[in-house]
Amino acid sequence: MNIAVCVCLVPDTASVVGYLDGAVDYSRVNVVMNHYDEYALEEAVRLKERVEGSVVTVFSFAPDSAREVLRKALAMGADRAFRVSCSGGGDLSPTEPFLTALGLSRAIAAFYADRLPDLVFCGKQSTDFQSAQVPSMLGELLGMASVSGITSLQITGDLLRVEREIEGGIEAIEVTFPAVLSAEKGLNEPRNTSIRAVMEARKKTVGLLEVSLHEEPFVVMSGIEPLERKKICCFVPDEHELLRVLSYECNLL
Amino acid sequence: MNKFLVFLEQREGIVKPSSISVWNRVQGLAALDGNSVVSGILAGPVEIGQLDGALGGDGVIYHAKEDGLRVYNQERYSRVIADLFEREACTALFFADTAMTRDMAPRLSVRMQASLLNGNALGEGDAAGVSRRVYSASFLASFVPTRKLRIYILSSSVRVVEFPDGGRINFIDIEPLQSTLKDLFPVVRRIIMGEGPPDVAEARIVVAGGRGMGGVESFALLEQTASLLGGAVGASRTAVDAGWRPHAEQIGQTGKTVAPVLYFACGISGAVQHLAGIGSAGVVVAINSDRDAPIFNVADYGLVGDVHIVLPKLIDLLKEFLKKQ
Repeated sequence: MNIAVCVCLVPDTASVVGYLDGAVDYSRVNVVMNHYDEYALEEAVRLKERVEGSVVTVFSFAPDSAREVLRKALAMGADRAFRVSCSGGGDLSPTEPFLTALGLSRAIAAFYADRLPDLVFCGKQSTDFQSAQVPSMLGELLGMASVSGITSLQITGDLLRVEREIEGGIEAIEVTFPAVLSAEKGLNEPRNTSIRAVMEARKKTVGLLEVSLHEEPFVVMSGIEPLERKKICCFVPDEHELLRVLSYECNLL
Repeated sequence: MNKFLVFLEQREGIVKPSSISVWNRVQGLAALDGNSVVSGILAGPVEIGQLDGALGGDGVIYHAKEDGLRVYNQERYSRVIADLFEREACTALFFADTAMTRDMAPRLSVRMQASLLNGNALGEGDAAGVSRRVYSASFLASFVPTRKLRIYILSSSVRVVEFPDGGRINFIDIEPLQSTLKDLFPVVRRIIMGEGPPDVAEARIVVAGGRGMGGVESFALLEQTASLLGGAVGASRTAVDAGWRPHAEQIGQTGKTVAPVLYFACGISGAVQHLAGIGSAGVVVAINSDRDAPIFNVADYGLVGDVHIVLPKLIDLLKEFLKKQ
């Protein structure tokens, strides 16, 4: 089985994304693999371990400086990893899902040549901009069915049986190969990488795939500003006062 | 002239309040510019009487009643929407923010070559962008479309002004889809609904607990409180990772973003990743034994105390209060 995994890099959510001179300041930011992508990668590797002859290939729009993050993917069990870059030049803004999806679809189509992969795994969304658009767009661009936000996966013969959370419940869905699946938290527990795996991964090369991407984005970020989240907290002395304030002052109860 | 199309989502024959809310918001938008027409698309058989008095403004709602649309099907729903959008020469498509719309909208964006904007604040005018919180809700980013056609996923915001007046709505049945394939994958085979309380992402009041609750049993206090208030129980990542509550209740960076009018944070310290999920909440009440917990920096009201002592008292007071109502 050929399995593609798309990962993206994001600021570690524990990092402080700053704001300096009217622009976002990434100087104190630690770049890591998007958390949801870890579930995707883990699921791909588990499938590889179950189905003999499977190959897991990772694709990521990542700058050269972030090669180590892709090595982590290799250490987790991916067979190959590729950085994708645009031959059109310029940086791909992470706020533009369409171009990200388009670029990834071209990288995947180029790499697999005549045959599409059987499965494409992505994380449900990236923790920085949270558009949650790339996986489904990728499905449409590759001409594959897609299911977003899966929390469980089983393969029975030719069918994929997945579940995903909906408001107040769970949908049990069947889909045929090939398919794009995006992973929700709870799909699995991503493995810790052993020292040996990390050492082995060091020996592998992270390849480079160039794609042409001259199209215009569908969406442009027109502005970004830090939010002052702090409120002045009114401390109440006891439960009586809390109830009074919520019911009579706020009219909430 | 703008022609807006609003998708009205139904599950099990019930039209979702979040869709009705989007219809009313879009009607409000149309009323402002005076140059827009609003239509709706309802996929699946629905008893339309349930919408009496709920929908504001004027417009036509196209009802695709065929049984094949009773349950969500990604390809069928997408085709019905895209076909109608094109036939009626619409300029913008509006969705509420749900699991279904997040599954469909990006594919439609590519198919229709339309800019997909998700956010909770809608700008006005032709450029009609959106804004939403990014980077763990510490920044507000604005996005504008570059394409002529637009698709919006609007998440609920407690500060939205609704368009209240009942209007003249015409329902028009539309022709069933021409489809020779019996099953268009992916196919929803079963839906397993949870019982009882509303989903945390849809509840008007959320009572959430974190590490300070101490264990799974203490969440019974939150369940009681939520039940009395007609709300839902939420949980921080710590509580979910500890196995005390299911992921479906998790609020925060790797959980849900919620916009209830009232949010209780009980025994939740207020880590940045949790706050990412409550940026749009209305009134935030924090109950924590640590007066220096960061949660108090984002709370409107705070009660410093042990949740195991505060909550039972609050529950008793609520019971009395509700009896008097």
